[in-house]
Amino acid sequence: METYQKYLNPQTLASLQGLELRARLIVEGYVSGVHRSPYHGFSIEFAEHREYVPGDDLRYVDWKVFGKTDKVYLKQYEEETNLVGYMLLDTSESMRYKSDAAALSKLEYAQCVAGSLAYLILQQQDSVGLVTFDNEVRALLRATSNPSHLKQILQVMEETVPERKTNTGPIFHDLAERLKKRGIVIILSDLFDDVNAMLAGLKHFRHRRHEVILFHVLDPAELDFPFDRVTLFKGLEQLPEVLADPRSLRKAYLEEFRAFQKQVRLGCRAQGIDYIEMRTDQPLDLALSSYLAHRMARSK
Amino acid sequence: MTLPAITAAIFLHPTMLFWASAAAVPIVIHLLSRRKHREVYWAAMQYLLAAVRKNSRRIQVEQWILLALRTAAIALAVLAVAQPGCDHSGLGPGGNDRTHKMLVVDSSFSMGYKPTDKSRFDRAKELAARIVDESNQGDGFTLLVLANPPRVVVGTPAFERRDFLEEIENLKLWHGGANLPATLAQAEEVLTRAARENPRLVRHEIYFLTDLGRNTWSAEGEGAAAAEFRQRTARLAREAQLLVLDLGQADSENTAVVDLQTTDPLTTVGHELTIEGTLRNFGHASRERQLVELFIDGHKTGQDYVDLPPGGQASVTFPYRFDAPGDHGIELRLASDLLPLDNHRWLAASTKDQLRVLCVTGNPDGRFHGSTDYLAVALAPNRKAPERSLVQPQVVPESALLEVELSNYDCVFLANVGQFTGSEAQAMASYLKHGGGIVCFLGDQVQADSYNRRLSGRSSDGSKVLPATIANLGPQGSYHFDPLNYQHPLLNVFRDQEQAGLITTPIARYFKLEVPPDSAAHVAMAFDNGDPAIVEEPIGRGRSILLATSADTSWSAMPLWPSFPPLVHELLSLAIRGKTAEQNIVVGQLLGDSFRGQAGQGSLSLRLPSGDAAQARVAADGEYTSWSFADTGQSGMYVAHLPPPYTRDELFAVNVDTSESDLARLDPAELRDSVWNGVDFVLRTDWQDLNAPSVDTVVRRQWLHIYLLTAVVALLLIESVLAMYFGRRAA
Repeated sequence: METYQKYLNPQTLASLQGLELRARLIVEGYVSGVHRSPYHGFSIEFAEHREYVPGDDLRYVDWKVFGKTDKVYLKQYEEETNLVGYMLLDTSESMRYKSDAAALSKLEYAQCVAGSLAYLILQQQDSVGLVTFDNEVRALLRATSNPSHLKQILQVMEETVPERKTNTGPIFHDLAERLKKRGIVIILSDLFDDVNAMLAGLKHFRHRRHEVILFHVLDPAELDFPFDRVTLFKGLEQLPEVLADPRSLRKAYLEEFRAFQKQVRLGCRAQGIDYIEMRTDQPLDLALSSYLAHRMARSK
Repeated sequence: MTLPAITAAIFLHPTMLFWASAAAVPIVIHLLSRRKHREVYWAAMQYLLAAVRKNSRRIQVEQWILLALRTAAIALAVLAVAQPGCDHSGLGPGGNDRTHKMLVVDSSFSMGYKPTDKSRFDRAKELAARIVDESNQGDGFTLLVLANPPRVVVGTPAFERRDFLEEIENLKLWHGGANLPATLAQAEEVLTRAARENPRLVRHEIYFLTDLGRNTWSAEGEGAAAAEFRQRTARLAREAQLLVLDLGQADSENTAVVDLQTTDPLTTVGHELTIEGTLRNFGHASRERQLVELFIDGHKTGQDYVDLPPGGQASVTFPYRFDAPGDHGIELRLASDLLPLDNHRWLAASTKDQLRVLCVTGNPDGRFHGSTDYLAVALAPNRKAPERSLVQPQVVPESALLEVELSNYDCVFLANVGQFTGSEAQAMASYLKHGGGIVCFLGDQVQADSYNRRLSGRSSDGSKVLPATIANLGPQGSYHFDPLNYQHPLLNVFRDQEQAGLITTPIARYFKLEVPPDSAAHVAMAFDNGDPAIVEEPIGRGRSILLATSADTSWSAMPLWPSFPPLVHELLSLAIRGKTAEQNIVVGQLLGDSFRGQAGQGSLSLRLPSGDAAQARVAADGEYTSWSFADTGQSGMYVAHLPPPYTRDELFAVNVDTSESDLARLDPAELRDSVWNGVDFVLRTDWQDLNAPSVDTVVRRQWLHIYLLTAVVALLLIESVLAMYFGRRAA
């Protein structure tokens, strides 16, 4: 089981082909790392007993019944099916950026996170849907709890080509209207867009009583700006290029970038949105932990 | 002046200025770095653009500042390497332009001062060699010796360094003084010739390697000589860079033997004489119980101890009696010090059994009162045992003058000789020329015209025998001698000896004597009316003395007066002093003598004080043979081996001129403000430690390049600090 944990590392994941494999290994790796499964017992309700057959997990043996009857019965749980998860994946051109320090591009990293979350949610018999977008919605898969839905989600993500600008504000407004059933909206994006418009879109989700988890996917280079030679920065999403000495600009750039992050973070806090910064060189269990924590809080 | 010449005048290494283009390197690197940049696609572009928008102006200013600092640092470093300010600095190669470097090495004997294991002269030679070694290819060198007389060792620019260095190595310390004006005259000649014959040598530098001895450097002369000295120095400074490299030390102590003589110049066998030496302390510290030793012919014959107070002097006397005739070498040695050269002094004394004096009389009338009779008695008072007398006089009539061989006599006394033939005049002139002494008394038979025509140098053959011409006969009267404060050495014995009667001698008549202007004649004694009574002059190697009155009693009572015998002896001493003086010279004077007869060979062998042998030039001169030797730069005893038929050796003492023993130095400020006032020159005093690394450096050139290098370091530090500050602000 220990070996699964390595798949939480982006470096290791990058060597694997296939989003499904990546998603499964992430979840398995995550699960193997906790002593007590964090999702057992809260997502399903008790339904009936059944007789023990060899191979059953002894943790589900009802020892009270055994004490009374000397027969070994297992507790049977009833699935809770009222949770719907919507994963909104930013597939704009800026998401394909990958620095030398990162093993995965932001999009690849976000895909892994989305895939593993979808796998996890479906494992819990919850429903999950997927939306990919840039300056418009590129794909929209309705939420369903059918395990075979995972393949469809993964396929859509794998076929995504990041090549256009982002336009998050109108898209979020549009999706807030289109996602009728209340659920958890999981957004994976670098949010390189008009922040005010984007926050307005998020507010719309909240207005429609969706829970929102915002995974702010960022490359370590975007956070640290580690360049030390004169560099021609070629803008993605149709932005101009700049020739500059990065050392003389580092402080100013980081100030600008941190101001942007702060604005997003404060906007999210104001609307009760979970904001999680995700560096693409970090292990991926942060996404799963965040989701599960949020799920647990919601169940209470 | 062309631009390269101007550049060469300003910079030591003008070609290094080509590296100034390296100052563009930071700018080129900056531009290249912008051209050779890396390219990245960048997602968070709007934040980078915002940062650029807000900081581009600041970044540009910072980059300009750093570029300016880096460029300036390189430019200053190049300037420092090129070493600007050559004309006001000091030593060292003069850029890439070919330079004529004239090395003037002070060889006065004060340069023999040895404060360490090396004398000042050794250091001067080392420094001269170093100047040559550190010069650029193509530079030419000349070499002069600052001495008296000055010596041009290499007069035309030499380009072969090895040979030139050999010339420097072969320089020997001159044991004499130095003649700066004459040396500068030589230097100007060499400089003019070098400039004319070597137009490729566009720069000229004259290095004076000297101890700045006051005796040498403050002796610019007076009047016209001083003006000429200043004008010549100014001309030299215009044509060449003058550099004075001071090798002297302040407060140098020195003691010396400043004089050595016998109290009686008439040195004869068996007669006791007194050898007197004078010792002087030129320093500021007292010297007590200084050992003084006397050596005769190389054997120590006496010693004494003297106390020498600061600046004071003391005398020592040693009685001595020569046992054998011939030349004897006397040496007085003082305990050695840091300048040992002047702690020895030599004296050559020619000793004879008797002095032979020829007395030529004009009126040999057989009676005692003849002109030379009193003279003969005064010369040899002991008539009963003439063989024991110092002097052996021989009286002959004037007609026999040509019959006797004058060279057999040490001195000739003429008394009341009426007139002279041309042959007689020539014989006496030749006698004087080769070291004879003539003392001439006048009298009533004297035909002044004959004297003046034959003996005053006016004759067709130019024979000069007498130091003055004879004017008219003075009127009968009562005259007395005026000793002129006993200034002349002739009258030294009469000083404070009033009872000797010299000034009370009654004189009734005399010839008026006229001393030609610009002659070397001296009036040794006058009459109380101011007319000359005794006139003397060195003529040739000998000396001639003319007395205005007679040697008999016809014109004066002088022969009867008690002062007559000593006066005659002093006249004899003075007359033969020419010969003695010829044997005792100072360094730099011509050594020479003559002897009757023809030498069988073209040269005469000499033994130098160093023990080396040398050949003296020999020239026939009528019936005489003269020889001379000019290279008397070393003090000590010189021995001349006379050729057959002469088998004897003649000794000659060559001594240092003790004016150089005073090691007082010329103050550098005095050199600048007085001696070379208004002359552009560089004085360097930091070359005394030759073991110190060359500055070229260093140090040289008024430290300007050091300042430049300091500025470079400062700029680099500022650049680093600013770059760090800018980086920290940007990071």
